[in-house]
Amino acid sequence: MNIAGTVNCEEVAKFAATLPHVIIAKDNRYTCSDQGQELIKNDIKEYNINRVVVASCSPRLHEPTFRKACEEAGLNKYLFEMANIREHCSWVHLHEKEAATEKAKDLVRAAVAKATLLEPAIETEVPIIKKALVIGGGVAGIQAALDLADTGYIVYLVEKEPSIGGRMAQIDKTFPTMDCSICILAPKMSDLGHHPNIELLTNSEVQAVEGYIGNFKVKVLKKPRYVTNDCSACNDCSEVCPVTAPNEFDVGLATRKAIYTPFAQAVPSTYIVDCEICLNKEGVMACEKCIKACERQAIDFDMKPETLELEVGTIIVATGADVHDPSSLTNYGYTHYPNVITSLEFERLINAGGPSGGNLIRPSDMKIPEAVAFIQCVGSRSEKGNLYCSNVCCMNTIKDSLLIKEHWPDVKIYVFYVDVRAFGKGFEDLYRRAKEEGAVFIRGLPAEVVEDWKTHNLWLIGENTLQKELYKVNVDMVILSVGIEPCHDSNVIQRLFTLSRTSDGFFMEAHPKLRPVDTPTGGVFLAGCAESPKDIKDSVTQASAAAARASILMAQGKVTVEAITPEPITENCQLCGLCSRVCPYNAIVVDKEQKLVEVIEAACAGCGTCGAECQFEALHMRHFTNAQILAQIDALTEEDADKKIIAFCCNWCAYAGADFAGVSRMQYPPNVRIIRTMCSGRVSQKFVEHAFARGAGAVIVAGCHPGDCHYIDANYQTQKRVERLWKKMERLGVDKDRLQLLWASAAEGERVASKVREMQATLKKLILEEVEKSKTAFAGS
Amino acid sequence: MPQKMWRKPLDTEKIKLPKAEIHIIPDLCKGCDFCIEFCPKKVLEKSDQLNKRGVYPPKGVDESKCALCGFCTAICPDFAIFTIEKKCKEGCEDGEKE
Repeated sequence: MNIAGTVNCEEVAKFAATLPHVIIAKDNRYTCSDQGQELIKNDIKEYNINRVVVASCSPRLHEPTFRKACEEAGLNKYLFEMANIREHCSWVHLHEKEAATEKAKDLVRAAVAKATLLEPAIETEVPIIKKALVIGGGVAGIQAALDLADTGYIVYLVEKEPSIGGRMAQIDKTFPTMDCSICILAPKMSDLGHHPNIELLTNSEVQAVEGYIGNFKVKVLKKPRYVTNDCSACNDCSEVCPVTAPNEFDVGLATRKAIYTPFAQAVPSTYIVDCEICLNKEGVMACEKCIKACERQAIDFDMKPETLELEVGTIIVATGADVHDPSSLTNYGYTHYPNVITSLEFERLINAGGPSGGNLIRPSDMKIPEAVAFIQCVGSRSEKGNLYCSNVCCMNTIKDSLLIKEHWPDVKIYVFYVDVRAFGKGFEDLYRRAKEEGAVFIRGLPAEVVEDWKTHNLWLIGENTLQKELYKVNVDMVILSVGIEPCHDSNVIQRLFTLSRTSDGFFMEAHPKLRPVDTPTGGVFLAGCAESPKDIKDSVTQASAAAARASILMAQGKVTVEAITPEPITENCQLCGLCSRVCPYNAIVVDKEQKLVEVIEAACAGCGTCGAECQFEALHMRHFTNAQILAQIDALTEEDADKKIIAFCCNWCAYAGADFAGVSRMQYPPNVRIIRTMCSGRVSQKFVEHAFARGAGAVIVAGCHPGDCHYIDANYQTQKRVERLWKKMERLGVDKDRLQLLWASAAEGERVASKVREMQATLKKLILEEVEKSKTAFAGS
Repeated sequence: MPQKMWRKPLDTEKIKLPKAEIHIIPDLCKGCDFCIEFCPKKVLEKSDQLNKRGVYPPKGVDESKCALCGFCTAICPDFAIFTIEKKCKEGCEDGEKE
């Protein structure tokens, strides 16, 4: 019982029936099911109802479902309102049944109050550009781009490295089938390179994104390669180039030249000049060896960076992941002992195209080791690295141990693990095979790796937790099975597309179960390790899913824009121009000479910060009108206002964060009442003052972290307004601790919960006199 | 952060870059220092020996760093500097001349 387990639903329904304008109130289970929706439809017709309120889960989950039901019964969908009594009530007050029931009543009262003032609206349709942008050319990006291109859409694939291929290109074999990684990837890379519908932009980065679902304008910086497409990849230039550097593709285990191709199967095969090390700098041509060596005259040092402006309808973020750097775990001695290597280095070592030609050698003496040890969970499932499981390392090690046994059956293999997670199709078989081939699995990670300084052999010392005895194992080489981390520059992508990241740092999906490849930003989808650590199969699956989701949008060809944009009320307007100044999208034009205010609907995203700024009631913020929000405040402060916290939460971060707290069952005191606005920028000073005038104990204004605002920078206006309010409260002698500003992302449920807990102290010391003082101070607002 | 690249590449010994010999004709130098300033590998510096023209000609600091790009030769107004590739016998050690 999601709700009824905590909230007395029957009592809430009875209470709802007593509210003004309520014709009928029903207590029902599974209202979101077909039967539940039928019930609503029938009641709309039977009782000739013109407003519907459902008290159930978060509107972020099922508002569209119920809106559709209303529409089917002939009621405009904007005449529907939801009271969130699950995520914001029953799930977070599991053990306070009475208080939760009271809170549910309050939330219903507020929803009914708002519903009374709801107005029907018609949504405008905007066309969708039938082109897609894929960011990241790893296997996920490649798959997504190919699927979209094969469907018939034009695709731009932006990759920051000189070649596509990503991590999969670096890996030797794949589990559980032991396919050669590059052998199965290279044909896909080549298909992509030749696809008539795909424009491949390597060595390029996304710089800016504007627009909205279906109509994005993306600026891409295409850095020069200094080699034209005439390049035949003959390697003559590289042969004569006098400058060397470690090759990133081989994790620094091999050398490359300043003019190079990262690996043999690179797409595009065109070489590239690394300007950081090339002798030619800033137009001074010091060395012309490559130019002279190139028969096709494909080298051109006059190439300039280009900024491309792409117009796309959908975007797939497949920016991949980094591997954990184990050098901070000093007990394993990585970077101090030459024969301690990472699993990524191992992949390059055992790869036939790698620096050792596929010979398993140890770095100190280039000899084939007699015994190796794998250490699992390096940087994963631990306070010392990342708390999450990196998903692929167990199977990767099992695969690697079989690879060793295949070529060098006499090499002894020890695997030190915490748990072996062989959960996928065919995984357990592979695990069993590795054990049959003689790999020794020891439970308990070594406490320390110690090097014998003469031989560079390594001692692993730790406790076997199954046999409850200490071990001391001597091996020639140690392979650290390093975990997967979010890309070090994923914060850039996060800002560009106003995405959210979980506490682990991976991008957050719109819904963890039902919309796993969508992001909260319309038209932007996720694929591959950018979303969470995953293996190749899962990345490809997700990429195809993301491509399908993007295709659905583009096939429809148009999208409706929510009718939440402002309507100017000309007779109230004083032409002060403040609304236009705070609009993050320049969507309001104030013409003082013509005495005209115009809202450019296509540019407006509906944050409502203009409405909060307007002092003259001259902007009618549709679906979030002043009157509606004030009515919600009134309803929530009707009883015991001084014991309550009124929280204004933005839809994308704080409200979603509170939802997340609910889903995670984080418990916090039940005296908080959340009012949803699209952006914290919608929260007018007047709303806060009104709450205090009504005797509210405390007020929270909560939005996205600065810089992460879903509406570019509208939350800076929030900050300004709250600071202004603080000053005013100080001047009026009102305790300014009673107003709190909170930045919480969609993943920070705990931040929301702890803020509510923290404010209990403020409420506890609140005396009646203080409440009365603020009531009179803000009276009339 | 991405994987650190801290090792000496395993093929370092195998990569054979041509070795250079820097030749300077001190008395032709008029001390403009172009070669010192523009050498992309910063292989040259002023010597402390005055030449006939009363200036300090350049000298090689670390010949092994020279990439043999020939830029010094190209920009020297006085034909006072040139580089040639050290020719080694088959299998000879670095620096051992033919």
